[in-house]
Amino acid sequence: MDTHTLFDKTIDLAQRALDLRSRRHEVLLSNIANADTPGYKAFDLMVEEALSRQSPKQGQLQMRRTDEGHLPAGGHDASTAVPRKVALTPQVTLRGDGNTVDMDREMSALAANQLQYRMSTQLIAKKFQSLHNIIKGDRQ
Amino acid sequence: MSFLDALQTSASGLSAQRLRMNLISSNLANVNTTRTEDGGPYRRKDAVFKATESQTAFGDQLNRSLAGNQLEEANVGVEVTEIRDDYRPPILKFDPSHPDADEQGYISLPNINVVEEMVNMISATRSYEANVTAIKASKDMASDAMDIGR
Repeated sequence: MDTHTLFDKTIDLAQRALDLRSRRHEVLLSNIANADTPGYKAFDLMVEEALSRQSPKQGQLQMRRTDEGHLPAGGHDASTAVPRKVALTPQVTLRGDGNTVDMDREMSALAANQLQYRMSTQLIAKKFQSLHNIIKGDRQ
Repeated sequence: MSFLDALQTSASGLSAQRLRMNLISSNLANVNTTRTEDGGPYRRKDAVFKATESQTAFGDQLNRSLAGNQLEEANVGVEVTEIRDDYRPPILKFDPSHPDADEQGYISLPNINVVEEMVNMISATRSYEANVTAIKASKDMASDAMDIGR
């Protein structure tokens, strides 16, 4: 949805942040569910990295999809960037079953991710609230 | 629906840990059992966990990519593939008065280390708790998302 005419890019970005954070949440859940599975390799999504990618600068040429059948190319915009999926390698492992889940790391990442998700929802809610105030004017 | 998938992943973790806990209880309850249906003493049981891979065909992946949704599905649950009997030989104990004693007066007792079972029990409890916390987090995130329009 192109909302740039009425709204700025904040909502688009916050929306993308919500999407990526909920996906990272699922990744963390997988790691937690498989904390006792032999040979399971923990992995993570680099959400911050994808969100902080810069939009193309003014004057820079960009690939554009003119047909539904075209494959998407050049996802350098933060609103479309895909986070990298990385395997986590713990520095010290005391278990011999090849499992690389670090429970402390997973639980703190889960809590942090949840707070950042809440931050984005609040951001969108406040944005809508301020638009609502503008539309209603002084007719409260 | 992404949140239901998230709950599904944690639920698979909960049921796997609960099954493990049931097996530990069964091992502890049968620490002195000398008769079973298969004959011989009770054998210690253990659950084998396996990650359930999300099967994504190339076509599905391509279509998802064309729809602008370039991330592959991330949720991987856990399942119990088999319940394995322990290979350790039974402990022989000299007790000629026992009805299951052999000609030399020895009975075979299950090779169950109670301390080992207790440690496994703590491990299963903690993993269960971690999954419960994860479900709470999923629910909180879902309710945060509902509050956007409020």
